[in-house]
Amino acid sequence: MKNKSEEKKYMPEISQKEIDELRKAITATSQRVVAENIEKMKKADPNRPEAMQYFDEIADFATREKEIRAAKQEGKKVIGYMCLFAPTELILAADAIPVRVNSGWYDASKLGDRVVPVEVCPVVRSTIGAKMIALSPYLELSDALISVLTCDGMTKLGEILSDYTPVWAMSIPRVKDSAQSMRLWIEEIKSVKGQIEALTGNKIKSKQLKSAIELTQKATKAFRRLQDLRKGSPVIMGRDAMLVNQTYMWDNIERWTEKTEALCDELEKRVSQKNWACPPDTPRVMVTGTPMIWPDNWKVPTLVEEANPQGVLVADELCSGERLLYDPVGVDEWSMSDMLNAIAERYLMASTCPCFTSEDGNEDRINWLLNKIKEWNIQGVIYYVVRGCMLYAMEYTRVKKVLDRMSVPVYYLDTEYTREDVGQMKTRVEAFLEMLSARIDI
Amino acid sequence: MIMELIGEILKLTVLAGLTLAGILVILIWKKGLATKVTYLRFLVQVVSMVAVFYLFTYPVWQLIVLIVILVLPLFLGRFFCGWLCPFALYMDAITLIRKAVKVRYRILPDKLNKFLHNLRYVLFLVFLIIPFVLVLLDPPSSLDLATLLALLLSGPFEPLRILIGPIIPLIVSWEGPLAISGVYFSYPYVQEVILYSEVVFSEVFVNIIALVFVALTFVGSFFVRRVWCRFCPTGSSIAVVNRFKGFKWAPLLHIDKDEEKCTKCGICKRVCPVQVTEVYEQKGGKITTSMCTLCTRCVEMCPYEDCLKVKLGGKTVFKSRNWLEPSTTE
Repeated sequence: MKNKSEEKKYMPEISQKEIDELRKAITATSQRVVAENIEKMKKADPNRPEAMQYFDEIADFATREKEIRAAKQEGKKVIGYMCLFAPTELILAADAIPVRVNSGWYDASKLGDRVVPVEVCPVVRSTIGAKMIALSPYLELSDALISVLTCDGMTKLGEILSDYTPVWAMSIPRVKDSAQSMRLWIEEIKSVKGQIEALTGNKIKSKQLKSAIELTQKATKAFRRLQDLRKGSPVIMGRDAMLVNQTYMWDNIERWTEKTEALCDELEKRVSQKNWACPPDTPRVMVTGTPMIWPDNWKVPTLVEEANPQGVLVADELCSGERLLYDPVGVDEWSMSDMLNAIAERYLMASTCPCFTSEDGNEDRINWLLNKIKEWNIQGVIYYVVRGCMLYAMEYTRVKKVLDRMSVPVYYLDTEYTREDVGQMKTRVEAFLEMLSARIDI
Repeated sequence: MIMELIGEILKLTVLAGLTLAGILVILIWKKGLATKVTYLRFLVQVVSMVAVFYLFTYPVWQLIVLIVILVLPLFLGRFFCGWLCPFALYMDAITLIRKAVKVRYRILPDKLNKFLHNLRYVLFLVFLIIPFVLVLLDPPSSLDLATLLALLLSGPFEPLRILIGPIIPLIVSWEGPLAISGVYFSYPYVQEVILYSEVVFSEVFVNIIALVFVALTFVGSFFVRRVWCRFCPTGSSIAVVNRFKGFKWAPLLHIDKDEEKCTKCGICKRVCPVQVTEVYEQKGGKITTSMCTLCTRCVEMCPYEDCLKVKLGGKTVFKSRNWLEPSTTE
């Protein structure tokens, strides 16, 4: 490998002083935002589940950073990933720590403007900005990054980040249900397995892989239990559940499962006591579209749940939310090759990312939305898109057509990584919720 | 005679009742097993093998067996193949050995699989026609309808054997030309293989052919799951109602898919022992395919609640669960 610090393909030269200043400023804002968000969540639901305490703590980046640092001291490796197609089970089986490194900092996206034009998706720009000033602890601690070439932004993001960290690109086929796609993807999975083994020095044996798969299956079980609890009257605020889902991206998975199960136990008790988080007739909203990433990009959920009239998020179709863990790895026989096949299929075929198409277009996503709307009793859908997220924006027309036929209102909410449009968005969201509650009254 | 018959039926009823009671006890005792259909299927297969053994000792067994195989599919499709056929149990047992020695199964290319699937009809016809060809080669004195019917139903080659070939399992005693230290080969289809090869080859070769056949089916089912089911001529007679879309209404037992709950994760396609792709490919509603043996492995493994269902006459008897056990909500 060539000396990376010498030659940078994309990143501009910034003086160390500027980096430090920027990092200090943005970290301070970030800490404030984290505290503020949690404060708001506590206020919205005065008798918030006690088990949420743990997730509040882990949502603060410093806590988990310390743990990962300690683990790294003991020789563990950290492998970051941008899209959720990265095979977490393989990382776990090699005794490494998987973390997702997409950035949700608004201020960092301004820094990203120095490298890529403003038309580019802010998630990508923000991640570039975060790397520039070493803002995200998880991105900094990663020994390698897995970049899955899903949308255009992610494809180039991996290339840009390779200025700092080794990046393993996995090219994902765009047609997901053909035999040749599966062959390519299995080869990619096998190659990344080799790379993980080379980095960590641990050979992935079928025994370890089996226990890793079982670990994530258990996490899926806890995860689905939580989502199922949101089917009935709102027993947990949408933001709280979203935070729980989100912390999976960087938390210790075993502990996360335990804590989520504890949360579900508490919620089940509340269901039997009919102790609701908000009035049961609150409009039930689902959000779909671009990933929303903690801490800054918490704008839309906060607006929905603090609007007047209030709404409650009961489901989502976000790759930072319910799509993270909804699909389990289903293994037929516990042999190495079958486990690898199962992992490959789970990540490629079960995904509803709009970067795919097939004979029927991205039919799976439509089916997901329909299923959620029926099972979770959704009254309105917010189609959330950040400027520059082409794939989600382009699929809107199709989704709207389908939902119109079902007479489920859908609202296209486009925004940016900025705090400036909160006031204007508040008006829009409130108008939408007003309409929803009027519909419910009828 | 009638008293004997009643006595036999009583014996069978008692046997079936005891076995079912045994299954129930095991299921209740080991609660976890109740959710695992594969175990249940194994038990049913063992029970049916015992039942077949009894049927063979029974004076009119052939008739009963034939009625069962010819009538069952009208209601249940290839349920017989998945759950009752003793040869399938034999292949599943070999699969268990393969799993124990940790060898990965091979997957046949879809095209070959479809070809084998169509080949069964050819095999079926060939076996039906052979006796007539042989008769024509060596014509008997009179060739009337009665002779022809006798050829079809009994005759030296008994083409109907092919219909009951796979249910002559290892345990049914039989006296054939091939014996190793006094134990006759009673292997599915071996009788047919011997009968038909006797016509062309000398007796030494017949034994060798029978042995080769046994070895091939053993190795085949070791590497390919349920290899025989893919081109079993018996299956062709059984599955004929499932084959055509116009007969969609016919089988009482079928697999039903809810398209909206399906994320096309592909698990159903991968776990299927006979590599049926229709469950994955079809849009939803009743699954029509004559390849499916209704073993319900896909329903068992599907991780989305209510997505796949086994319906018996419109009533759901078994459905895919969130196999990670969902919580109950109000």
